[in-house]
Amino acid sequence: MSRQRTLEKILVSEYVSIGELVRLTGCRYSTLKFYTEEGMLPFEQEEENLTRRFPRAKAVEKIKEIQELKKRGLSIPEIKDILLQ
Amino acid sequence: MELRFSQNFSLVALNAQDSLHLTNAKKVALRCIAAATILELYLEQGFTLDKDMVTFNRKDLERPEITLYQETVLKAVLGRKESLSDTLPHLLTVVSKLSKKYLLKVERAYADSLNGDHALEEIPNLLGCDLQFDTAGVSMKEYRSNEELFTKVIENLRAETLEEGLMTDESFFMLWLMRESGCFNDIFSDEELKRVKARMSELFENSNLARKVLPVAIHSSLEIGVKKFLRLKRAAMGTPTGTGINFTFPVFERSQSVFIETDAYFEGKEERLRDVLTRLKEKGHNYTVLREGTVPLIKIDNLIYEAVPSAVNGGRMPIHGVRLRIYPLY
Repeated sequence: MSRQRTLEKILVSEYVSIGELVRLTGCRYSTLKFYTEEGMLPFEQEEENLTRRFPRAKAVEKIKEIQELKKRGLSIPEIKDILLQ
Repeated sequence: MELRFSQNFSLVALNAQDSLHLTNAKKVALRCIAAATILELYLEQGFTLDKDMVTFNRKDLERPEITLYQETVLKAVLGRKESLSDTLPHLLTVVSKLSKKYLLKVERAYADSLNGDHALEEIPNLLGCDLQFDTAGVSMKEYRSNEELFTKVIENLRAETLEEGLMTDESFFMLWLMRESGCFNDIFSDEELKRVKARMSELFENSNLARKVLPVAIHSSLEIGVKKFLRLKRAAMGTPTGTGINFTFPVFERSQSVFIETDAYFEGKEERLRDVLTRLKEKGHNYTVLREGTVPLIKIDNLIYEAVPSAVNGGRMPIHGVRLRIYPLY
């Protein structure tokens, strides 16, 4: 086990875990997991069973974009289409 | 804003607890909050570590980094001793056996600290509007945690527990505290609990710290049992059938069958509604009238209630008024 990183350290790191993404955005874990599995959030995984790492800046930006589109009343398939374009 | 480890746990543990009385559920929460303080000090090197022994001297209380809530717990554990030297598991067992007097001090210290950070507030409990409570002069209030911070703590724990990969010491301690305070079923679904169980076994195999802490049980089975029974009762009375039964027999769950008396006998629907709203305003509740009429619909503190005209036995004469019944939306 290791110590939890402080918010300051997370804010300057290139990659973050899903738990740290929760702390950064306040989004629910299950929501982020769903976005990841739907291919809406960028992530890296070195081998199949290793932990997923998220590029902090890109992932936070995507989450904000998704939240904005949801506020405008778009459905998840519509948001997916926009993000893939 | 980021809170410290034990503050994060107390934010979850104190949420929705009665803030004025030491209930059984709050006792469970406070014992675990005291243990969380010890774990926070352990994580932040607040103790002197020598192999398996943790040591703390009374004069260390003067160190500027010791917060008021840490001081409250440490003073309670130290008692009249000048220093304490113990293993972490044993210290956790000792701190969980604090008397009611010290538990109340711990509660005050944490509530004040979280209040200062705008992470916790005291809100009126609807039960305080009930005829019996109002006339007896009994106030009812409860704690409400900042929703955003609460979600972050819970969701971060869920992410770290349910995802593959390394678990941080903080999340492991948080998981143990949730287990000891009987909160597992509030956080994880039945299916997820299987993964939690596997995760705990995995930690036990691979981590020295987990091997030390996981076998420690600080909960009182009786208190946890009572807490679970009350939660089940509340859930049962929250179903459509339960709501109907509770309306006829309010004694099953008083908090979900509040009776507010009217000023006069046989009042009209407008006057009846006026009396109810006056009581709600008096006690500091937020409300909106969604529908007027014989049975008005009122949104009180985010929940919708029907105000059904009713009467209770008040000795020689019945007392007229309305009984609030949760409006079934699901």
